[in-house]
Amino acid sequence: MNKAIEIENVNKSYGDVRALEDVNLTIEQGEFFGLLGPNGAGKSTLIGVLGGLVNKDSGQVTVLGNDVVQNYRKTKKSLGIVPQEVVFDPYFNVRETLEIQSGYFGVKDNGERIDEVLDALGLKYKEDTNIRGLSGGMKRRLLIAKALVHDPDIIVLDEPTAGVDVELRKSLWDYVIKLNEQGKTIILTTHYLEEAEQLCDRIAILNKGRVVAVDQKEELIKRIDKKVIEVKLQHKPNNIEELFPTAANIEWTDTNKLKLETTRGNVISLLDKIQNSSLEIVDIDVNSAKLEDVFMKLTSLGGEENE
Amino acid sequence: MSDLITFYSLVKREIWRFSKVAIQTVFAPLISTSLYLIIFSYSFRSREVAEYGIDYIKFIVPGLIMMSLIQNSFANTSSSLIVAKYQGSIVDLLLAPFSYMQLTLGLMIGGIARGLVVGLAIYLIATFFYSGAVYSVGLFILFSFLISGIFSLFGIIAGLWAEKFDHISIFSNFFITPLTFLSGVFYSVKNLPGIWSKVSLFNPVFYMIDMARYAFVGISDAKLSLSITIVGTLFIVLFFLTTYLFKIGYKIKD
Ligand SMILES: Nc1ncnc2c1ncn2[C@@H]1O[C@H](COP(=O)(O)OP(=O)(O)OP(=O)(O)O)[C@@H](O)[C@H]1O
Ligand SMILES: [Mg+2]
Repeated sequence: MNKAIEIENVNKSYGDVRALEDVNLTIEQGEFFGLLGPNGAGKSTLIGVLGGLVNKDSGQVTVLGNDVVQNYRKTKKSLGIVPQEVVFDPYFNVRETLEIQSGYFGVKDNGERIDEVLDALGLKYKEDTNIRGLSGGMKRRLLIAKALVHDPDIIVLDEPTAGVDVELRKSLWDYVIKLNEQGKTIILTTHYLEEAEQLCDRIAILNKGRVVAVDQKEELIKRIDKKVIEVKLQHKPNNIEELFPTAANIEWTDTNKLKLETTRGNVISLLDKIQNSSLEIVDIDVNSAKLEDVFMKLTSLGGEENE
Repeated sequence: MSDLITFYSLVKREIWRFSKVAIQTVFAPLISTSLYLIIFSYSFRSREVAEYGIDYIKFIVPGLIMMSLIQNSFANTSSSLIVAKYQGSIVDLLLAPFSYMQLTLGLMIGGIARGLVVGLAIYLIATFFYSGAVYSVGLFILFSFLISGIFSLFGIIAGLWAEKFDHISIFSNFFITPLTFLSGVFYSVKNLPGIWSKVSLFNPVFYMIDMARYAFVGISDAKLSLSITIVGTLFIVLFFLTTYLFKIGYKIKD
């Protein structure tokens, strides 16, 4: 089976800015893939290369086995890209926009599919509204709808939930998960790391144009050896710093919680110590590292660990 | 099949766009050209163009039709593109599976459609001012397609090159309007004093107006075969240039 996306040694510079530097990535069909990175990491540039919005300087990119330069008509057909910037064609209403869009991708009489997408995105009641008359969040929903009307095999969402309200965010994710279960490949960029952590199977982290990590989500998180113990207490103990010398980053919160950071290997012994102390314990929680911890480590200054 | 739908949809979108703003795109140009017709037919009543042996009004009708064709075809493609660039909806064209030639053809046909709609309407209005006779309808239609095609292509190039609306007016105010006014829409260039009559021969719009007038009244200043060669070559060159600009993503791809 062809890979959904294969990116080999792709480079792109804007003047002195190296937006993409020797990027290599392979995405399998049917994956829910996260493309993460701080502002300016090169995510949108990479998506632009996929969709034919950006001319790369070197390297090769294929979509379902077809080259995005030589075979651009095929690759564009199998992609549904939601651009990051909200753009709109001011002459048409919502439904007309989606009809034109379907036609562009070679689909005629697409009413049923358009209805489905409008429903899923909560835009049905605005179908006769001119785009100028949509709120910002609705314009973004339309942007998503446009990418989906031709039922593409690979759906690329460049920060689809920026400016979208909580309710729609939830229904959008339900719909995208459904599409993924039907076998569609999903590529998502987002700055909401919790969303990515919940949704994605595999994640690539970009920093300054380079891929600094690609792995299964769980594996990525495992790289951070960190456990956070939260102990809710009746009273604030004195000298909290001295109580547990093996713990790091000891903190007392307003909600009467003592927060202790430790490593996986030390978590049991630390819990023992807490139990055997004279503290009046109300509740105990143990949390593992989060995607955010990995993200911070790989993208913050000095954390330039390369794979 | 789906390829045809793709192409057809672009043409449909282009025509739909200008139809939605028909007041500006179709009716406004009709008013200005009708004013020309009224003023000229009143001022030059019973005046003849000696070289042609026809009424002045009949002489200028093909020129006026071509002038509107030129302006409207150019305006259609250039504003369609500059608005798309300005609003960002140009990405719709870039993300969709159009071949580069389809982009050129699709936008061009949109421009031709608007040019022909306005041109036809002007012809109909003109029949109030003269008999309405046309020497060769077939040739006139053919030349109309060719000439509005050329200016649709020009409009695409201008739209790609322009970074803001002002840049489009530079194109039309500094090139199209002077070249059209100096092309013999309102006079026979044979009437011009020596040097100017020669200079006109370097103006491609002169050949367009001249060949259109030939199709209209059966007489022309230049040889028809020369005009067809010049205008046809220009069309082909612009067509491939435009397609090439789409291919390299001139000012639309990063
Ligand atoms: N058209 C352009 N001209 C010049 N520089 C550009 C252009 N587009 C992007 N860049 C630069 O390329 C780098 C990568 O930008 P890109 O938009 O890909 O980042 P991103 O990861 O999508 O960021 P964000 O999370 O903010 O969307 C940035 O340094 C940006 O300034
Ligand atoms: Mg981006």
